[in-house]
Amino acid sequence: MGRGRRSAIFAATALVVVVAASAAAADVLGVIQARQGHFKEIGKAAKAMSEQLKSPTPALPGVQASVKQIDALAPQLLTWFPAGSGLPTGLKTQAKAEIWTKPDEFKRDASAFADAAHKLDLVAAGGDLAAIRAQAQVLGQTCKTCHEAFRQRDD
Amino acid sequence: MTDGSAPPQPGRRGLIVKVWDAPTRWVHGLIIVLTALAWWTESHDQMDWHIRIGCALLGLVLFRLAWGVFGDANARFASFVRGPRTVLRYAIKLATGAEAEAGVGHNPMGGWSVVALLGVMAAEIGFGLFCVDVDGLESGPLADRVSFQAGRAAAHWHTVLFNVLLALIALHLCAIAFYGIVRRDNLIGPMLTGRKRVATSAGEPQPARRGSAVALGLSAAVAAGLALWAAYGFRA
Repeated sequence: MGRGRRSAIFAATALVVVVAASAAAADVLGVIQARQGHFKEIGKAAKAMSEQLKSPTPALPGVQASVKQIDALAPQLLTWFPAGSGLPTGLKTQAKAEIWTKPDEFKRDASAFADAAHKLDLVAAGGDLAAIRAQAQVLGQTCKTCHEAFRQRDD
Repeated sequence: MTDGSAPPQPGRRGLIVKVWDAPTRWVHGLIIVLTALAWWTESHDQMDWHIRIGCALLGLVLFRLAWGVFGDANARFASFVRGPRTVLRYAIKLATGAEAEAGVGHNPMGGWSVVALLGVMAAEIGFGLFCVDVDGLESGPLADRVSFQAGRAAAHWHTVLFNVLLALIALHLCAIAFYGIVRRDNLIGPMLTGRKRVATSAGEPQPARRGSAVALGLSAAVAAGLALWAAYGFRA
């Protein structure tokens, strides 16, 4: 193997590594952006829902539509956190490392959220406002529990 | 500065004069208590109370702004908001220890501290009205007028300004400690009693303009009304 050939191989390998690394970084960036987009969708729906529920005369169809949106997104939550999409990339994210170091607890909290969202969807369909409000509280608590453990506080 | 009903009395050393009127002292005291409670309730997940307290603080700040126009002389912005040259001259005197005489009312630097505290407080409450929490569930009384994202931005600024407010409060307390220890000028007593002993060399105090009872009543009613209306999201 000639010297020129060897350095050509080295250069090619280096290029592949750099391209792969930046592709991975771009992937992670995409994953984080998509994840934040999903959470913003949930936040928007939760805001719309709780504004209705706070009013003395909530518009039931609006509440039901918002709850449906949350219920549709909630079961996907675990897929938004693939390995490597956390802190070590240095990209701005409030996802704590515990998501990946304590996967069982994270899964438990995520499924509590999905279960509460699904139950709220069923209760909302029933139309009993007191029951909807109570289950919305339960749902909110699942947000808080998980955020407490797995999301960096804002500052 | 004197008060029509209580003329300056000769004290052991110098005169006892009225510095702060009752509305100014009460508003100051209530702002301290409610700010502490707002902090406590927020950090103990009592958001319903946090929001009520925030609206009460809105009423107090609005009243203080009105009292800064219609109140007693020492409470008026026109009496204590001074130009940069006056502030600089005072700062130099203070740094060199030249101004030995304890003043009555806000000094040129203290006046700006009041403006900064009230301004940041007003902005803090203003952002608070539009805040949305990360879960989209807890929100300020005007948050339904803005998007989730705008509400989150408001929450961000609400947090940033709270830290600015804490820094200003710390500065305020340091200044009080400085006057008390270095200048032997007790600022806390007059804020509690409204009265202060001044050396006779300060000269006979000028008769001061007083805020009328009507101005007091109207300012309080308008401020309370606006705060309550904001608490209900400007509805009904």
